[in-house]
Amino acid sequence: MVDPDPPAYYRIPLVPTGRVPGTARTVAFGDVLFASSPFGVAVTADGNYSYELQLTVERSGYKGPGHFVGWLATSDLKQVKWLGPLGDDNSLSSTVEWNKFLVIVTLEESDQPANRWQGPVVFRGLSRSGLMHTMAGHGPFSREPCATFGY
Amino acid sequence: MNRVRLLAISGARHIPDSSLLLGRVKRFLWAAILAASPPISATGQGHEGHMMVHAEQPGEAAVWRMPPMDMSMPMLPGLESALPPVGPFLPGAGVDVSEIPEARPGEQVQLDDGDTLNVVVSLVRRHIAGHHMVMYGYNGQYPGPLIKANRGSTVYVNVENRIVLPTTVHWHGIRLDNAFDGVPGVTQAPINTGEAFLYEIKVRDSGIYWYHPHMREDIQQDLGLYGNLLVADPDPNHYGPANREEVLILDDLLVDAAGPLPWGDEAPTHALMGRFGNVMLVNGMTDFGIEVDRGEIVRYYVTNVANTRTFNLTFRNARAKIVASDVSRFEKEQWVSNIPIAPAERYVVDVIYDEPGEYATTNSVQAINHFRGTFYSSVDTLWTVNVSAEPAAASYRETFDVLRSFDEVTADIGTFADHFQRPPDHTLELTVKVEDLPLPIVLAMEIDTLYVPPMEWNDAMPMMNWLSTGKQVTWILRDTDTGKENGEIGWSFEQGDVAKIRIFNNPRSFHPMHHPIHIHGQRYLVLSIDGVATKNRVWKDTAIVPVGSTVDLLVDMSNPGEWMLHCHIAEHLHSGMMFGFTVRPGELDGDQASFWN
Repeated sequence: MVDPDPPAYYRIPLVPTGRVPGTARTVAFGDVLFASSPFGVAVTADGNYSYELQLTVERSGYKGPGHFVGWLATSDLKQVKWLGPLGDDNSLSSTVEWNKFLVIVTLEESDQPANRWQGPVVFRGLSRSGLMHTMAGHGPFSREPCATFGY
Repeated sequence: MNRVRLLAISGARHIPDSSLLLGRVKRFLWAAILAASPPISATGQGHEGHMMVHAEQPGEAAVWRMPPMDMSMPMLPGLESALPPVGPFLPGAGVDVSEIPEARPGEQVQLDDGDTLNVVVSLVRRHIAGHHMVMYGYNGQYPGPLIKANRGSTVYVNVENRIVLPTTVHWHGIRLDNAFDGVPGVTQAPINTGEAFLYEIKVRDSGIYWYHPHMREDIQQDLGLYGNLLVADPDPNHYGPANREEVLILDDLLVDAAGPLPWGDEAPTHALMGRFGNVMLVNGMTDFGIEVDRGEIVRYYVTNVANTRTFNLTFRNARAKIVASDVSRFEKEQWVSNIPIAPAERYVVDVIYDEPGEYATTNSVQAINHFRGTFYSSVDTLWTVNVSAEPAAASYRETFDVLRSFDEVTADIGTFADHFQRPPDHTLELTVKVEDLPLPIVLAMEIDTLYVPPMEWNDAMPMMNWLSTGKQVTWILRDTDTGKENGEIGWSFEQGDVAKIRIFNNPRSFHPMHHPIHIHGQRYLVLSIDGVATKNRVWKDTAIVPVGSTVDLLVDMSNPGEWMLHCHIAEHLHSGMMFGFTVRPGELDGDQASFWN
């Protein structure tokens, strides 16, 4: 069966936190594509995939002050990257050079670059690689204690 | 064509993991396996049945030994004594090793129009990573001879087979006459032991090509049967100036303390992911290096001949620009820091070494530990460049700093522009079927495929991979219009046709994996990946289709004959992933007609 919607490599659903009025029923997502490359697959010099990420927020009911700002973070939150404010069309394009990452949209007073978000998280999502999980404690390895392997 | 169909395993059944009944059966069987299995520990492993201490001597009959792996990973219960359901094969069994000649480094051979090179396929002795081993060689060399020829010339290679396996030689990427394409049962009969075959090779395109067997290349190619064919262009400015040229072949070899791991005799092992090696080779060596002067520009012609490994070639601290790939130059040169190169792909890259010191060119990937569910950085040095403080005798820095555009490539590609936006003529889905795999593997895979990476850069499941063979695994190219698979697909074109082929690598199959798709005898463009048009195009004969991606190819069906389309992961090819297609002779216009005459 051919993928009926081939333009996106895959789509990250961005789930509302409900912390910002008018956003609980908003549809938000991130479309992931390989970055442009002269090769068949785009990877960085250290082997991470290089992606284009398109954030989209549809039917937002939020009418208050501030800016929706996009962020990327590693899953341990040790590294955070400011992507910028969503535009008038409530979308934002950026690149990602991490294999496993969080996508976060916050409500910020400022639309200027920052190291960390200050406002409330409005939406959050996880790259598909976030589904990768230790096999310890599961299926064939159900007898393996997770703690032995640091979990 | 019958041979091709025979090679595809028919009647394989997909395991319907959504079946409730089967799920109950699996759980019952799994409970039984666990009850019968001793407690597993990360250190205990329980590999009693795997002959891990058996040390074969070169020339001895092969026995199975399990592949080397991370021993901190617990053993899958139920596989403690499992072995692949095929026999083990090592070359040279029963032969007096002392009578086998020591291999020597590959030599260069210039062939002018009409010249003939005699090539003997034979056993050789090699010394790799501290092991003496018996391998194969073309003319006793590693790699095989580097054949140099001029574009437009016709050269001849007479191949004589002195190994026990039947063989052929495929001239990868060369748009030669069909009779010499080297596909057994399609363009020629196998070259049996003691027989010979004369190949006539008309080289119509300049660039870097390679040659290898098209019979059990999972064995023969892995054992050293490969070489390059470098075709010079009559235009001295075809490439920019460089101080030196290096023709490099990347490979890997799977060895343990006793030497190379045996291969499957009647079908390949490692059918799921392909046979990753644990020793990296450049031109057959583990310590390849060159010495250059400061400011030198080195032009590398790089070919990946590994069975399955895609390298991420990283030029650390050196500036590099990509110039050409399989069958042409790019539309324009482009700065790059790294080159992902799949099996059978080639790239031409110019690198400048500005400062004295040692430069390592590495394979730098984010490998996956499937058991822990993590990515980790894995770096192997492939070759080193020692740069002296002495300035280069000739400086081409100014030329190097300018990225050239190749208008004739763009113009050539532009003649196909009418086809870029139209719907595809054919659509292929890439998937896999398995039957009779050990149940623990099936269960582990169900969990493991919760996330499937776009590429497999390492063998993250060496035990499960080793136990899967071409008898249990069928990799599939499925024509989504007809439902036909592999050898049943019978595409037909007329010379001069331009075929748009869409390939979708289904991420929901039992074990999705990327595939480097090779088309014999023709050239093609990668038009788009996941609906996004490629920007800097180049004529290819092999290109990666990542897991989950949809890739559109535009194939210039210009060369008449019976040709193949297949995955170039050797174990996937020999697990069914191929089919033949026909290009009937047709009327060509003036330029095309003169090109093919």
